[in-house]
Amino acid sequence: MWAYAARRVVIGVMLLLALTLVTFVLFFASPADQARHACGKQCTDEQIAVTEKALGYDKPVYEQWGMFVKGLATGREFPADPELKKTHPEFITDCDAPCLGYSKTNGKTVNYLIGKAAPVSVSLAVVAVVLWLAFGVSLGIIAAVVKGSIIDRGIVGLTLIIYAFPTFFLGVFFLKFVVVKWGILAYPGYVSIAEGGVANWLNNLLLPGMTLALVFLASYVRMTRAFVLESLGEDYIRTARAKGLTSRRVLFKHALRAALTPLVTMTGIDFASLLGGAIITEQVFAYNGMGKLTVDSSQAWDLPTIIGIVVVAGAFVILANIIVDICYALIDPRVRLG
Amino acid sequence: MSSSTEPKVGGEAAQSVVDTAAPVTSVASKSPMQLAMARLRKDKLSLIALGFVLFFVVIGLTSPLVTHFGWIDPLTTNQDLVDPFGRPVDKWGGISLSHPLGIDSIGRDLMSRLWSGVSLSLFIALSGTALAMILGVVLGIVSGVTGGWTDAIIGRIIDLTLAFPQTLMLLALASTGLIMVQKAFHTPAGNPTAAVYLIVVLGLFGWTGIARIVRGQVLSLREREFVHAATMMGASKYRLYFREILPNLWAPILVTFTLMMPAFVSAEAALAYLGVGINAPTPTLGNILNDSISYADLVPTFFFIPGFTIAAIVVSFNLLGDGIRDALDPKGHQ
Amino acid sequence: MGKKLLRAVAASSALALGLGLAACGGDSGGGGSANDEPGEKGGTLQYLQSFLYESADPQRIYYGVQLAQWRRVLYRGLVAFPMDSDPEKATTPVPDLATDTGTVTDGGKTWAFTLKDGVKWEDGSDITCADVQYGTSRVFANDVIIGGPNYTLSYIDVKDYPGPYTATPEQQAEFEKAVSCSDDNKTVTFHFNKPWADFNQAAAGMMMVDPYKKSFDEGDRSKWKVLSNGPYKVEGGVWDKNKGATLVRNDQYDESTDTPDQLRKALPDKINWVVNGSDTAGELFNDRLIKDAGDDQYAITSARVTAQQLPKVQSGPVSERYVNVVSPFTDYLVMNHKKLTDPKVREALAVSLNATGYIKALGGELVAEPADSIVNPGTAGYKPNPAFEGISDGEGDPDAAQALLKEAGVKTPFPIKLSYPKTPTADKAMAVLQESWNKAGFDVTLDGQGDTYYDVIAQPDKDSDVMWAGWGSDWPSAMTVIPPLFDSRPNISKTTCGNDYGCYESDELNKILDEAANASNVEDQQAKMQEADAFLGKEYAYIPLDNQKFNWLYGSKVTGFTTTAASSSYPELGLIGVSQK
Repeated sequence: MWAYAARRVVIGVMLLLALTLVTFVLFFASPADQARHACGKQCTDEQIAVTEKALGYDKPVYEQWGMFVKGLATGREFPADPELKKTHPEFITDCDAPCLGYSKTNGKTVNYLIGKAAPVSVSLAVVAVVLWLAFGVSLGIIAAVVKGSIIDRGIVGLTLIIYAFPTFFLGVFFLKFVVVKWGILAYPGYVSIAEGGVANWLNNLLLPGMTLALVFLASYVRMTRAFVLESLGEDYIRTARAKGLTSRRVLFKHALRAALTPLVTMTGIDFASLLGGAIITEQVFAYNGMGKLTVDSSQAWDLPTIIGIVVVAGAFVILANIIVDICYALIDPRVRLG
Repeated sequence: MSSSTEPKVGGEAAQSVVDTAAPVTSVASKSPMQLAMARLRKDKLSLIALGFVLFFVVIGLTSPLVTHFGWIDPLTTNQDLVDPFGRPVDKWGGISLSHPLGIDSIGRDLMSRLWSGVSLSLFIALSGTALAMILGVVLGIVSGVTGGWTDAIIGRIIDLTLAFPQTLMLLALASTGLIMVQKAFHTPAGNPTAAVYLIVVLGLFGWTGIARIVRGQVLSLREREFVHAATMMGASKYRLYFREILPNLWAPILVTFTLMMPAFVSAEAALAYLGVGINAPTPTLGNILNDSISYADLVPTFFFIPGFTIAAIVVSFNLLGDGIRDALDPKGHQ
Repeated sequence: MGKKLLRAVAASSALALGLGLAACGGDSGGGGSANDEPGEKGGTLQYLQSFLYESADPQRIYYGVQLAQWRRVLYRGLVAFPMDSDPEKATTPVPDLATDTGTVTDGGKTWAFTLKDGVKWEDGSDITCADVQYGTSRVFANDVIIGGPNYTLSYIDVKDYPGPYTATPEQQAEFEKAVSCSDDNKTVTFHFNKPWADFNQAAAGMMMVDPYKKSFDEGDRSKWKVLSNGPYKVEGGVWDKNKGATLVRNDQYDESTDTPDQLRKALPDKINWVVNGSDTAGELFNDRLIKDAGDDQYAITSARVTAQQLPKVQSGPVSERYVNVVSPFTDYLVMNHKKLTDPKVREALAVSLNATGYIKALGGELVAEPADSIVNPGTAGYKPNPAFEGISDGEGDPDAAQALLKEAGVKTPFPIKLSYPKTPTADKAMAVLQESWNKAGFDVTLDGQGDTYYDVIAQPDKDSDVMWAGWGSDWPSAMTVIPPLFDSRPNISKTTCGNDYGCYESDELNKILDEAANASNVEDQQAKMQEADAFLGKEYAYIPLDNQKFNWLYGSKVTGFTTTAASSSYPELGLIGVSQK
């Protein structure tokens, strides 16, 4: 068990490093002149050269990647200039391990930027997960219990139709109609728990969380429904019923438990992918999360930040997969670890 | 039905599509086609969905023709039909006999734009799906047949593809990606290149699921006696596998195909919202909807008509995919 | 001469597009004031900002709006532009930290300013000549201080000076001779290598010669730190790029060293500066201002009302909180002279342009008015360019254009790639242009681009044929329009065409520009500028499109809402207060 976990983690770390390498290569294979973008259109040739050097773009790709990996392990200093450190120690920005880099565009370490943006995305993801689990699972159970009825068809059909609309259509609909035109809800704007308390935090996350949850709702309804139905047909359930257990008890005690494992798997992986930022929902509601940081940094050619986000978002996905697999093995003894 | 992640871009959507489709692979192929067709014919909902799908396909196929003959005109502006704020002068978004779905804020005919838009969006989704299928089948067979290091490497590439924040990469690489595509395929600058970029990117992020299914099939066949026998007699392994396995694969491929198409239609729309994709004034479903956003509450027809069109396409393809899957494997899914 | 160019132009035209291509307007000419209530002190003003600053460090700031507004609240200059409704007065510097507007000697090559007594930093220390000297020197450190204006580099009489961080003692001494301080550390003297006649205008409008306290400097790490000397200070001392900051009163600021009525009334006790750089933020802010609920009643915004929101603000109570003004920003098309070498082809583009349809697609007369010259009408010496008579308010003449193309002997349809910053509104406006040009025998491809647009079109090897651009003069002189945009000498180098996006090079034009720069009086200079504009028109080097109008909304409890020429038609922060009734 532990050996398996350790091996998965090692492979995960290597995967992550490969991810960063691919990202570096992709960006440096590009014909765009990084330094010229960073310097701006007014820059003279000399200024571009100076910028290039200051940002480290004059070094070959593998060397820059090596510095990045070293920074992850041991931390870095920006700029890495021993001369400057002697004369002006106050100019040096320390970036402790795991150092993701330094964004010249923002004048901050990438760790700082992600640290600011991540809570927004995490909050959004948490609210969305809670909403889609609560509604998805309960609607799925209802649909399974009344299988074949109008209610069943209604639930499955409606969630599918909602899913079919693009995310930004749903978001814009909420904003332009529910908020602006009908005035049902107030304008959402991210407020952290520290700033405004839990109620305020939640209130402001309701609409964007709902937008995100609606996208996922259909799959969860259908999956819950399918697994509940499947397990209701299994032998042990029939035995339980024959033993005289009430159908409610059978449903909650046995059928739901069978649906739990795949639900946990799917939730874990979906949640992890959201931690990297819900780009479209954040864009529609103007939330400063990881998705927004993504859009900004790619528009500004802010390479260090892009790589930092790739690493963090990739790490979430890889980690979630490892955790899910291990949990799976723990819950279900039939799964062989191999 | 796919569990699409939020931005609904290729990979993840396609991946979970395939996961739910997986059970079909175990279907034995005695006379599955006839059985399945019979079951499908009884499934009213799927037949309706099929009707819609055919409708959209016909729309897509006829678009170049009707544009050529001037029956639809997605580009000509009629600015005298709108007020200075871009609102149609007439009620109901300017819906009239000559403009059955109304006009947009510079007086272009919305029905014509949607007609062309459906065509281009479906073309992009179809090509992306086809590319994903081809990549997936080829890499899956190579992976399963060769085994060893090749298998391991392809497995890791799949992991890597799945771990990439895809929307981020799409956004960040859009400008350079276009130049790379142009250099690699010698496409004309502008929209042909943009379309190829979308297709390549959707395909590159969408192949992993089908590759896994195919690999599984190969592995299960590898132990069969006739395979042993054939290879011992010196038959080409690859030819054998392609010949033996592909017939078994049409079911999962068909299902994955029908379910990946709508995911890619959504992906095109999402990318248009983020400013990546086909340039104005050429309409796609995504950029027609994106154009209408700031008018959403001012002229609701601008916003709701393209929105519902996308939803109709996605729903009908999904229902059809579900129907086909159920028909192929009536026990597996309710 | 006329080097004062604010990024406002590039930046804000990009921004304008971001919010629905040029959103703003002008029934009331220079100073659009809709709220004449006398301002009272106190209260909290909400400032909703829809774009991100690039820095909070005075020597690195280049956004026009930020320069104008931070002059009122955080960074006082040696001189500053007054908040006057008369555009000419509003663009004539008055003393701020200095006792006068500068003493010029040596034919414009030497400028001296003496600092007032009692002017202090927020930490209580005096602002000295050494601070001005140090601030000026930082601009030379190209590798650390990236992003700000750097005109001083070519004027200050010093050679190979690398900035204060890495200078040898000899280099530093040489710099301190070129920008010298008197013995009492009060008077700073700038020695230039050539005359700089309107240096004080540059000093008022930009912050490249603003004081900076040496002990506060941390190089690259100073990018977001604020050490104020104005009526407010940033709470916590650091500006958060993505969130903004709260501005509170600076207790070290002494009103008696200032001229509040002229430069900054500083009415609110607190300014809650909320930044949201999302593409959708500007529209959301104005939706909120239309609703006018809660704190939004005390809010102003840097985001213009979008064309699609305009119908909602034309009537009812909200219309009383709505201002429409002509802005100093002019949009134009510029031809790539490396590709469109035949003037007949360029002329054909001009005569077939559907200018009226273009403006209508932007949102009509509230958003833009026809432009008949690249020089904005608010600029002294403005004269309609004869080349564009009948074009700027017409719908295009495809037949005339076809004749021209035939004359030019080119193959039709003639392919044209039109580049512009992409937004849904811009897409539609460009589609209108495309349609009119296609009728005239062109085959137009639209090329909507992302945020790096201005960097891309500055490159000499781009494949665009025609490019959209926006420009604004920061004080009313055509000298801040034509030379920076068309003089090839400062613009064109091996790697960039600078602001001369079309890479236009003409010795003949450069000669006229030199004559204008050396003109002995304003009238002659204006005449020369008109000659230069006419010359560009004859060459069809550019086509004017529209003068942007600005549409502003503000909360119902906001007082003194005004725009001035000094604030580039953005809200004049120095006059705005909030009502506490």
